[in-house]
Amino acid sequence: MAATLPVVLPGDQISPSSLPKPTKGNKPLTLGPGLQHIPPNTISTTIAGALVTDAKKNAAWVEYNSGRYTPTAGDLVIATIATGGAESFNCTITPNTPYASLPNLAFEGATRKTRPQLATNSLVYARILTANRDTAPELTCVDPSTGKSEGLGPLKGGMVFKISLGMARRLLAGRKGGVTVLGGLSEKIGFEIAIGRNGVLWVDGGNVKTTLAVGKAVQEVDEHALGPEGQKKVVSKVLRDI
Amino acid sequence: MPREAEISVNEREFIQQALRENTRLDGRAFDTFRPLELTFGDEYGVADVKLGKTRVIARISVEVTAPLPERKFDGVFQIVTEFSPMASPAFEVGRPTDAEVILARILEKAIRRSNALDTESLCIIAGLKVFHLRADVHIIDHDGGLIDASCIAVMAALQHFRRPDVIVEGEKATVLSVREREPIPLSILHTPLCVTFSYYEEGEIFLVDANLAEEQVRQGEIIITMNRHGEVCQIAKYGGATVDALSLLNCNNVALEKVKDMSKFIQERLEADAKRRDAGGLMAELSAENDR
Repeated sequence: MAATLPVVLPGDQISPSSLPKPTKGNKPLTLGPGLQHIPPNTISTTIAGALVTDAKKNAAWVEYNSGRYTPTAGDLVIATIATGGAESFNCTITPNTPYASLPNLAFEGATRKTRPQLATNSLVYARILTANRDTAPELTCVDPSTGKSEGLGPLKGGMVFKISLGMARRLLAGRKGGVTVLGGLSEKIGFEIAIGRNGVLWVDGGNVKTTLAVGKAVQEVDEHALGPEGQKKVVSKVLRDI
Repeated sequence: MPREAEISVNEREFIQQALRENTRLDGRAFDTFRPLELTFGDEYGVADVKLGKTRVIARISVEVTAPLPERKFDGVFQIVTEFSPMASPAFEVGRPTDAEVILARILEKAIRRSNALDTESLCIIAGLKVFHLRADVHIIDHDGGLIDASCIAVMAALQHFRRPDVIVEGEKATVLSVREREPIPLSILHTPLCVTFSYYEEGEIFLVDANLAEEQVRQGEIIITMNRHGEVCQIAKYGGATVDALSLLNCNNVALEKVKDMSKFIQERLEADAKRRDAGGLMAELSAENDR
């Protein structure tokens, strides 16, 4: 993450100069998490964090590391099956949120006759379809437009590691997130990962040692907020141990 | 809708597989504790214990009450546990979980009934006035090992606590404030400490100080309480699987070693705290304690 992002505190007013300039046309300005619009034309912050702007999308939001996950539509999460029903599974996203429902038919190739059999407490990688304040969130393991799973579905084997929400977001952001530890490790060892926005990282390295090494490396980067150099050191240490 | 996050099938299998391969998740050996931290508050009788991510605070307070009619010469000692909802989503105020009931019972057996505290020394006037000592145990963060951490916290707080001095003239007792006379330490007869063993694979594998994930996977637990002289105060076993006598003896030996280490650690921390308070070296002169 670039170190030049301005830091904002709750209640700060955002000056028009720090808002993104639309590159073409008159796309309306989109405000993301942590920003609110007070009519007629004041924009203020509601949380502390780094102000991020995207000129191409004409959007601005506040990047922050919060403790509790709130389900938002479109997020990828790793959920635990709590109970199975006739129509849908009840899933736990975090222990603090209400159960989310995952319909039996929301899996790739699932029909009324070939329903997926998932045991209690097994893990699924799913996308949040709808989430609002008054109803339980709904999950899906297929892309509604194509009917393909696109990597979503039950997670077999492996191990989950708790990471901070900010870290999960950075990992999902790819190169923009500035987390190089996984890329560095994958040059030498093979493993499979899934990142849940609810602060869960699932790793399967084929054996206990690899899985643990990868998970611990990410947790260490997360806990000590390591920069690029620190991450390189972690990678070389892990590879030396394996 | 708060509830305990149940451990997933994947984690359960992974932890068991790792244990079969002699690996713990945090890379510890099977018989090591997580790093233990102990700090004392500014007031007497406040101990803050951190065992890995688990955090427990114990606080001792005292008041003067009438003794129980059947125990006229004994002071009252009470241990109260409180599980804060911020420690885990499973904890709710006013609705004790199984863990809370077990913790309260073990502390009762380990500390109160093993006579760690000489309650007779809390008597002011027989049958009329005694000190009522209360130990509040607050669970601030829960990552397993609550029993061990709470026991350390209570014992450390008891040794750190100072009760006010009293002057008795006939039936009249005057409690002297801290400014009038330096408070007196409690008379502690011995320091019992708990070591919890979690067992797996039908009693083949024993772990000392399991964290929360390991606790959720275990088949059962054995809690051994002893003091540094190797006197066993209580042994409790919860969980269904059987354990053979030889491994129980083995656990006792490991527990003794751990208890010795922990007692030494508590003593060191107490001495460091006493040194910090002893500004100008006047503590020895101020002391109102009678030499026995």
